[in-house]
Amino acid sequence: MATHAAHHAPRKAPPSISPDLMPIHALIEAEQEAFIKEEDGLKRAGYFCSYTPPELLNAAGLRHARLFKAGTPAIVSNGERYTQSVFCDFSKSCIGGFDKDAGDPFYLAVDKLYNFHTCASMKRATEVLDSMVPTTMLNLPRLRGEESSRAFFRDEIAHFRDDVADLAGRPVTEDDVREQIVLFNKARRLIRKFSDLRKRPKPPLSGRDFLELVRGFYYLKPDALLAAYEPLYRKLSRSRGKGDGRPRLMISGSEMADGDRRLVELIEEDIGAHIVAEDHCTGLRPFTYTVCETGDPFRALADGYLDQAPCARMKPIEDPLDFSGQLAQEYAVDGVVYVYLKFCACYGATRSAFIGRFQELGIPVLEISSDYSHSDIGQLKTRVEAFIEVLNEKRFDRLLAARAAEAEAAAD
Amino acid sequence: MKISDIVKADPARVVPAAPVVGFDIGSRGSKGVLVTPDEIHTVFIPTGLYMQETADELLSLLLKRAKLKRHNLGFIVGTGYGRISLKYEDIPYQVVTEISCHAMGAHVVNPATRTIIDIGGQDSKAIKVDPATGKVVEFVMNDKCAAGTGRFLEKAANLLGIGLDELGGVALQAKEPAQVSSQCVVFAESEVVSLRARGDRVGDEEARANIAAGIHYASARRVKTLLGRVGLEPDLVFTGGVANNAGMWHALEDLIGSPFAPSPAGFDMIFAGALGAAVYAGRHHALSRPAKPAKAKAKTTPKPPVELETAKIETIVAEAPRLPHRPACHTPGRAEAPACGVAGFAD
Repeated sequence: MATHAAHHAPRKAPPSISPDLMPIHALIEAEQEAFIKEEDGLKRAGYFCSYTPPELLNAAGLRHARLFKAGTPAIVSNGERYTQSVFCDFSKSCIGGFDKDAGDPFYLAVDKLYNFHTCASMKRATEVLDSMVPTTMLNLPRLRGEESSRAFFRDEIAHFRDDVADLAGRPVTEDDVREQIVLFNKARRLIRKFSDLRKRPKPPLSGRDFLELVRGFYYLKPDALLAAYEPLYRKLSRSRGKGDGRPRLMISGSEMADGDRRLVELIEEDIGAHIVAEDHCTGLRPFTYTVCETGDPFRALADGYLDQAPCARMKPIEDPLDFSGQLAQEYAVDGVVYVYLKFCACYGATRSAFIGRFQELGIPVLEISSDYSHSDIGQLKTRVEAFIEVLNEKRFDRLLAARAAEAEAAAD
Repeated sequence: MKISDIVKADPARVVPAAPVVGFDIGSRGSKGVLVTPDEIHTVFIPTGLYMQETADELLSLLLKRAKLKRHNLGFIVGTGYGRISLKYEDIPYQVVTEISCHAMGAHVVNPATRTIIDIGGQDSKAIKVDPATGKVVEFVMNDKCAAGTGRFLEKAANLLGIGLDELGGVALQAKEPAQVSSQCVVFAESEVVSLRARGDRVGDEEARANIAAGIHYASARRVKTLLGRVGLEPDLVFTGGVANNAGMWHALEDLIGSPFAPSPAGFDMIFAGALGAAVYAGRHHALSRPAKPAKAKAKTTPKPPVELETAKIETIVAEAPRLPHRPACHTPGRAEAPACGVAGFAD
C-alpha cells in the first residue's frame, strides 16, 4: 500500500523535511530551475565559501547562489580526473559540477565564479576551474585579530564590488551596498531566531529542517526569503512542549554539502536523537553575526565577515575552539558529533584540538571522517548508535542520581 | 559451561531470571550465546546471505544444546552487523550495538577490563570500558577499509595457500617477519605476491612463516594506532572473531608491549559480543518484569504486578560440549567483497 501510494504521489522533497518546510523547499527548487532556464538577461554568479559577501552580488542585481551541491559519487569522480585522490570529495565535486559533459546544469549556468581563498584544496580546485568558467579568486586573511588584516580585507571586498559591477554592467554604489547589508542582516537575524527555538526542551524544528532554511539563504534572494520565512517563524515559535528525553546533539566540523544529508537523517530518523546546533559553515555558524549598517560599507563587511564564527582555517585556532565550545554549552547539548570530510586538511588536522576542547567541557564527542561514497553507512550507523547508547547511559545515571537524592531528601 | 566458571562479575548483575539469548551476527561469522540461571551455551556458524536464517539456525542450535524450547526464552538481544534485520514475533527483541556488547561481554568475564581490542571480519575497534559497570566510555573504529581486520588476514591466508585457522600458527614459526608496509589490502596483496616470488631462496616453509608474520604485524600496527587514540589501561582484553588467532595475539602484544588478560576457563573471546548481548537481554528481561514495590518511602502507589510468565527452567547439569573450533571469518564460497571503496558491509 505504502509503496503504491509513494509511486503515484509526485515526490516534491526528500521525506525527511517536515511539511512546514515544504513551501520553502518548493521555492528553492523553483529558484534553481529559474537559475538554469529563465531568460531574464541577468548574469549568474556562483561562489563556494561562506566568507563571500552575497550583499555585493545582490547589490549588483545578479542572480547568485552558493555552490555547495555535492554528495553524489558520480560528480566526485568527474572532478577526480583533475585532482589527486587526496583532495576532499567536496573540492572534487566543485570541479565535477562544472564538467562540460557530465556536470550539474546548475553549475553550468554560472557566468562567473567567485572564491575567497580559504583552504588549499579549494584554492587549487578554483585554479583548475579557471579554465572552465570565468573565475575571480579573492584573498581572505587568516589573522582575524590584526588591524592590517581588516584593512586588507576591506580593499579585497572593494575589488569584489568592482568585479561584480563589471559583470553586471552597472555601477554598485556604497548606498546600494548599505541597503543590502540591512536586508541580509534581517535574513541572518531571522535564521538565528529559528535556531534559538531549538534551545527549547522540545525543539520545534529538526536539524534537517534547519539545514533546509540555511539552504534557502544561499539560493533565495533575501526579500523572498523573509516573505517565506516570517510566517513559518511565527508558527514554530508558538510551539511549546516538554522534552522527550532524547539526546541533544551538535554537529561540528567541515562543510555539510547541499545533498549530503545521510548523517543527519541517520541521527534524526533512524536513531532518533535531536540535532540542535551546527558548528559548521553550512549550518548555524554563518548566522552568528550582524554587519555594521553605518559607515564605510566595505569596512563593515570586512569586519562582519572576519568577526563571524571562524572556521578552522582562521587563526588563532583558539577562536574557533572557543566558539565551538560556547555554542555547545549555549544549546545545552548532550554530545557533539565531530565530522569532517576525508582528506580535509583544515578539520582533519585540528580535530584533536576540537575534540580536546569538548572533552575539557565534559561533553562527549564522536569523531567521524567520511566522504560521499556511501559505502560506509553501516559503519556510521554502528558508531552513532553506540555513541547514543553511551549518552543515554550517562543521562540515565544522572536521572538515577537525581531520583536517589530526591528520595533521600524525602526521607529526611 | 557453568556460569560461575565464566562470569567473574557480580552474578546478581549477570544471571538472568529466565533463559536469555544474545546474537552477534557479524559480517563473516555469527555467534550465539544462551545464558540460563546457571549455564552458558555458545554456538558459532558462518553468516549466511539472509541474517534471519542465520539467526534462526543459531537459535535452534542453542535451544537444542540447552534442551529448551522457544517459549522458555525471556529475551533476545541482537548485535553485530546483521542486528537490525532480525525480527521475532514471539520473543521480546532489542538491538544493542556491538561496541556496547563487546564491552559488557569482556567486563563480565573479567571485571578488571579497562581497554578492549575487538577485531572482527570487517572492522576493528578500540574500546575504553568503565570497570565499575561494563559501560563504554570511549571508542574508535577503523575506517571503511579492511586493513587490520579478519578480512585482511583471510586474503593473506588465501595468497599463502593455507587456511585462515592455520595462518596464526604459521606466523608464530617466523624467524624474521617479512616487511609488509602497506596498510591497504589491495597493495598488501601485491606485496605478498612479490614476497612469495622471492621465497625460494629461504625455502618455502620459512618464507611462508615470515610472510604470515609480516601480515600480522602490518595489521597489528594499524590496530595499535586505534588503541593509541583511546589510550591503554590494563586489563587489556582481545575480543572478536580474530581473538583466537595466536599470530595476531603475539604481534599485538609485541607491538603494544603489554600482555592481554587471559579469559577465564578458556572462554573463547570471539563470543564476547554475543555474551554481552545476552547480558543486556537479561537486563531487558528484568526491566520488562514489574519492579518490586518500593518500601515505605515511595509516594506513588506501585502499579499492580502483572502476571508473570515464569518459565520452568530445566536445570542442565551436564557440561555443554565445547564447540569444534571453527575459523572466525572463514566463510567458504562467499563472494569476494571488494577491499575498499565499494565494500557494502562495514560493521
